[in-house]
Amino acid sequence: MHSSISSVRLAGLAVSTGSVTRDFLSDGLALGLDRVMLEKTAQTIGLRERKVAAPGVTALDLCEDATRRLLDAAGLDATSIDAVIFVTQTPDHAQPNNASLLHGRLGLATGAAAFDLSLGCSGWVYGLQQAALLCAHGGAARVLLCAGDTLSRLTHPRDRSADPLFGDAGSAALVERTGAATPWHFELGADGTGANAIIVPQGGARMPHDCKPLTEIPDLDGNVRHAANLAMQGGEVFNFSLRQAPPAVAAVMRQAGFTVEGTDGLVLHQANRFVITSVGRKCGFPAEKTPSAVVERYGNQSSASIPCALLDAFGATLVARPQKLVLCGFGVGWSWGAVAAEFGPLVVAPIQAYPHA
Amino acid sequence: MSPSEKLHALQADVDLFVGATPETRLASLPSWGSLAVLLVILHCETKHGLAVSSAQVRGCATVGDLLQLIP
Repeated sequence: MHSSISSVRLAGLAVSTGSVTRDFLSDGLALGLDRVMLEKTAQTIGLRERKVAAPGVTALDLCEDATRRLLDAAGLDATSIDAVIFVTQTPDHAQPNNASLLHGRLGLATGAAAFDLSLGCSGWVYGLQQAALLCAHGGAARVLLCAGDTLSRLTHPRDRSADPLFGDAGSAALVERTGAATPWHFELGADGTGANAIIVPQGGARMPHDCKPLTEIPDLDGNVRHAANLAMQGGEVFNFSLRQAPPAVAAVMRQAGFTVEGTDGLVLHQANRFVITSVGRKCGFPAEKTPSAVVERYGNQSSASIPCALLDAFGATLVARPQKLVLCGFGVGWSWGAVAAEFGPLVVAPIQAYPHA
Repeated sequence: MSPSEKLHALQADVDLFVGATPETRLASLPSWGSLAVLLVILHCETKHGLAVSSAQVRGCATVGDLLQLIP
């Protein structure tokens, strides 16, 4: 689905990460895995460190911290926000949603709308499109877009296909209605036939948590997980990413009239370096325009990975001047979203671990 | 592309196949596993423009079976 949305701007961006550092090599060695194989995997996939949330810290906490730091940096009061969108697959509760909880914590006006989007790695682009729509056509002047997850809590430590990948983070972005701005061009899509490729089977209404002990089941590669763990078919997800992301990127670039040479960067969901490099190359972008450093320091941060990579690679530049950027997220659902837009200048609060040291 | 050319291209991309022959059993390769499956998928995509599934790769018993995935 294509949409072009005018008269909106990205006014601010902040990311708070987990505070606990996990090291790929030492974690693997502690499980008794072979050092040579670990080093080869680290080199090929690009796994080094990740930041996970401290005990008791949730995506809501991380996003609240990012929001408060962003509002401080921008000199704005929370009551100026007309709507809050919270993108997460790890909400505090089944009910109420995280957006309502954040609404209360921040003291937003009772006239401000609040709703969640249940999406993962494509979620920031989906959320950005919704925030832009609210500003352009929904009566909002300023929308708070929060996106974050604590997926590290959902993986089994002996599932080496998933556990070493994920870091935890929460992001906050401010989208505003403005008079003159170049349109943002979005492409959103989904293929629900792949929904089982990334799944946490237990915990929803179909298979509720009960009091029975969870049964650990090994797969063909010796990875272990139970029904309440995140299970990911890495090969199928990789194929999906290569199949769906490049056409979405090409579509929004065509709509925006962007060329690879004239675009400042392609910011992909930070799945891992192997995926970023492969997808970026297929999109026709050189490695120097496709940042991948975030994932090697913070891990795959689900819906917070694009704003984190944006801040890490372009934060200082975006404060000073506009940048022509293409963003693309892809993952659970299967779902994908791409946007081509000129972002900046904007206010940023730096990437920071929460709780603060 | 002949089977021998396909094997050489695979070996150039994925070093775990260096020294392997079409008769080599995948399970006998020391590094065979989920990472190797990803590397084969990437090789098929980038070198041959071919989308193969991990199930197809995992369904192969030998290197020769893998090469037959590539037309």
